[in-house]
Amino acid sequence: MSSISVEATLARGLRHLGRPLRRLRGVPFIVPYLPFLIGLGIVPMIMALELAVTNFDGSWSGLGNFVATFNDYRFMPAAVDVLLYTGIWMAALVVLVVGLALTLHARANKVSAAFRFLFYLPGALAGAASVLVWLFMLSPDVSPWGFILRGVFGLHLFSEVPLPQNLPFIFATIAFWTGAGGWIVVMYGALNTIPHEIEEAAKLDGAGPILIALRLKLPMIQKWIGYMLILTFATGTQVFVEPWLMNIATLQGINPDWSMNQYAYQLAFVYYHFNAAAAVSVDLLLVGLMAAAVIITRTQLFSAD
Amino acid sequence: MKSTAGIFGRSGRTVVALAALMSIGLVAGHSAEGVSAQGPHAGCSGGSLTVYTDSVRKPAVDAYVTAHPDVCVRVTVWSGDGNGATEGQTDIEKWNTAGSGWANVMFSEQVNDPIWMNQAPFNYGANLNGVISAKVLKNWSKTSLAQCTVAGKLICLQDNLAPEVLWVNTHLMKKFHYKVPHTWQQWAAIGKDVAKHHKGYIIGTLGDSYGGWLFYWANQCHLESLQSNGDLMINGKDKNCTEMTNLLAPLVADGTVVHSSVFDSDFPKTWGKTDKVLMLPGATWYALSILQSTCEIPSGQMTAADPLAWGNNKTVTTGQVGGGPWIISRHDSGSQLALDASFVVWETTQFNPLPLSNPNARPGLPADAAIAKSWLASLNKQKYFSAPPGPAIQKAVGEVWSGWSIVTYSDQPYWSTDVKGGLAQGNSLGSYFSKYVGDLVKAAQAAGYTVKK
Amino acid sequence: MDTPAPPTLAGSPPELQVRFTRGARRLLRWSTIGLAIRFAVLVAFALFFIVPIIWLLLAPTKSDNALIFSSPLAFGDFHHVWVALGHLGAWSNDLFRVWMGNSLLYAFGGTGIVLATAIPAGYGLALSRFPGRRLVLSMTLVVMIMPSAALVIPIFLEMNALHLIGNVLSIMLPFGFFPFGVYLAYIYFSTAVPRELLDASRVDGCNELQTFWHVALPLSVPIVALVFFFSFVANWNNYFLPEVVASSSTQDPVQVGLGLLLAVTPSFNPAPGGGAAQLPIHRPELALAIIIAVLPVLLVFLFSQRFLVRGLVQGATKE
Repeated sequence: MSSISVEATLARGLRHLGRPLRRLRGVPFIVPYLPFLIGLGIVPMIMALELAVTNFDGSWSGLGNFVATFNDYRFMPAAVDVLLYTGIWMAALVVLVVGLALTLHARANKVSAAFRFLFYLPGALAGAASVLVWLFMLSPDVSPWGFILRGVFGLHLFSEVPLPQNLPFIFATIAFWTGAGGWIVVMYGALNTIPHEIEEAAKLDGAGPILIALRLKLPMIQKWIGYMLILTFATGTQVFVEPWLMNIATLQGINPDWSMNQYAYQLAFVYYHFNAAAAVSVDLLLVGLMAAAVIITRTQLFSAD
Repeated sequence: MKSTAGIFGRSGRTVVALAALMSIGLVAGHSAEGVSAQGPHAGCSGGSLTVYTDSVRKPAVDAYVTAHPDVCVRVTVWSGDGNGATEGQTDIEKWNTAGSGWANVMFSEQVNDPIWMNQAPFNYGANLNGVISAKVLKNWSKTSLAQCTVAGKLICLQDNLAPEVLWVNTHLMKKFHYKVPHTWQQWAAIGKDVAKHHKGYIIGTLGDSYGGWLFYWANQCHLESLQSNGDLMINGKDKNCTEMTNLLAPLVADGTVVHSSVFDSDFPKTWGKTDKVLMLPGATWYALSILQSTCEIPSGQMTAADPLAWGNNKTVTTGQVGGGPWIISRHDSGSQLALDASFVVWETTQFNPLPLSNPNARPGLPADAAIAKSWLASLNKQKYFSAPPGPAIQKAVGEVWSGWSIVTYSDQPYWSTDVKGGLAQGNSLGSYFSKYVGDLVKAAQAAGYTVKK
Repeated sequence: MDTPAPPTLAGSPPELQVRFTRGARRLLRWSTIGLAIRFAVLVAFALFFIVPIIWLLLAPTKSDNALIFSSPLAFGDFHHVWVALGHLGAWSNDLFRVWMGNSLLYAFGGTGIVLATAIPAGYGLALSRFPGRRLVLSMTLVVMIMPSAALVIPIFLEMNALHLIGNVLSIMLPFGFFPFGVYLAYIYFSTAVPRELLDASRVDGCNELQTFWHVALPLSVPIVALVFFFSFVANWNNYFLPEVVASSSTQDPVQVGLGLLLAVTPSFNPAPGGGAAQLPIHRPELALAIIIAVLPVLLVFLFSQRFLVRGLVQGATKE
């Protein structure tokens, strides 16, 4: 045995040893993050589940809380409310957000970039601020849209605005105002992934902008529209801030349990029924989980390669 | 990498600098332990106190702080559970779960609050018997004390009395040749005439969250009557309820009784400033704060008239809107409890004359009879009224119908949603009222009551 | 219909020229009207998005009366802004300042935690295929896609069980958890940082930590900025979690404070007992409060919009 081959064998051996060690290179970097992922992602879900299937004294109750909350007179109306609201918002997204993104993309230049920014700006007011701004926007006496409220809808007093049948539209408008800009930017980015040559070829063929938008670009971003809808569905069903603040602004004039999350909040904080509140929370969690599962499994965009 | 780092570098530094400046400026600007109306720091030789007050009572609390520089007072403003909000439940529950942080004294706008605060699982209110001296309590009316008594325990002390009176615009009444009504039927007849000859004028509002109290409590409708066995009677079909609905319905249809509230931001523009309020069943505390400040009704027009009777009934009953209970924490004892009590007594026995521009002037009739007389005298002297409103108010105090009980849940949100919301879209008061009653039943059951129809 | 033969472009096949000219004519006919319509639509929507903000900025310059009786987009005068500011400050003895301070603390503190944990985590996930990597990635994705509102009441229940209700950690710790940041960092380190650079650093004798610190981190400024932006905005605008978890109004961030302002001020929520005359918080004051409350995020938006859009596009498409 020459010395070279001993070294070579040793080197080879060390390399074999090193490979598993090399595989573990990333581990130390995720260590600070893991407690958060587990403690604030997984544990709350497990806790909610545990509370949902037990009673106040800790005894097992199985599906009891779920059945009881489902049969509660406030459950169905709240579910209908959020589904209606989410449906309207999703429709607006499909039509208006996609439409605006396509319109912007038809002539991509500094002007359309400026428009994109203007659309995106209300996103800074997400949360309570946007609801408060829209409380003003919906007051016929001060709103710049006053002429529309009075002229088109015949509303002259603020108290006439937040009626039960108007609420899903009002909240959808607020959600659209705050969130459309961000989605337009995302859709625009998706449109940018369409190779230019295809668009050029279509133009050469004599296709007008509308045809290109509807027949060419739209099918190519179908996937993205799908994600947007799924995410919006999951987020919309969790709505809380808008109906909560509207309730305050109308002097408790709308249902304090208009949305599912509000209902869960009432159960927890007004009636002290943590177990029932947990059951409703688990219902909402399941909606979110289903949406997440659909998005993750149906796309390689989020695959763990 | 492109020049993104460069772009970020320049504007990013600006962002960071701005953020740093802001945080230094704002964080350094705020006093330590939050919000306190403390006077010169004299230490806490007089004790320390955490008070939860609504924004209307806050000047009065600030006045205590100024008058007692040796007491460290932490003042927190909260909603007072106005209009049936449930902030109080949330706060107390969080303190209970944390095991600490209870406010020593809370002021509530909700007469229901002391009731549920006193029960499990909240267990917050202290028994004030023996804590507040009998000498002080002697000045509170029996009705007022009764509203704060549950199972023999005094669980709150009311700040003011708020019976309902009939506010009349004597100037307009004279102009239109109407006589001040003494019965509901006379009131309705005027309304019918107003609709015909003086369109645009109103004789009442149904849109206030306490609308049910103004009309149905006044007419002895059993919508919240605790029975001796603990059941709660909610009978919307009782004669007193339906006759009131039938009385109101045509007035609502004609527009003389409106579905707005005196608190709506468009009220002054539509009826207040424009002097279109002919009559208004309303609470005692409407006097200056609502009629003059909120609704902006011109001066020299309004005064209070006696509550309305039904038909030929000899006894007049009226409703009540509020009373502002003070509640003391059950978790306090000894010297802390004594301090809490002395604070509450100071607050409720201080007299500050009207008008409202005087700091700490009371908007409502003090529950403390000793200062109530002075308050009424100062009210009668106000140039805003066309005639002294005091006598009617004084009379109304004894006429609040005792058959309407204070329960653990608030009926106000249901009135707002069902009746006010319903009337904003349609005209069928009867069906909205039925929906209201239905929701009351469900709310009562959800709160644990056995409902008796 | 017999169209005369169009002039041929020298050198190009006749068929192509015919189509080109016809197409060009069609485009020319379309374009002026089409452009006008397109512009009108974009302007209409721009107005929809921007007019409320303009109204908001102009509102404190007017008195409450002027808000009603003058044109909605008229400018009042600066004096009213100072008056409104004074009213706001005097209300409840600077509680508003406390709220702003809280928001800054929670948003910066939470985002600080995010940057300290999410950036390295993204790097680690991109770096090597360690056992359990798929699990961590999947869990991150799941929690990231799930709406945060779904976890608020469960987090309250957890904080309750840990007796943390009343502690600012009950707000800061959830704010420090931002799986979307981890995902963005993961994408970035997987695609935008060349392996060769990292290998070169290792060959030079650096260990993993030094490689990260000296090579990867300086290259990650765009993603750090992006994650900072998203995390800060999300934390600043979060309403539901702090509302549920804070145990007194002095712990509220300014968003929850705005709700409280709405609830307690007599102009919006008049109390039985009146008192509107005694507390001058009216609509201009509330508008001013909103402006102050959104100012930090608005500034961050304005300054980061350029690379933000680019970053969003980059992060959204993975080749």
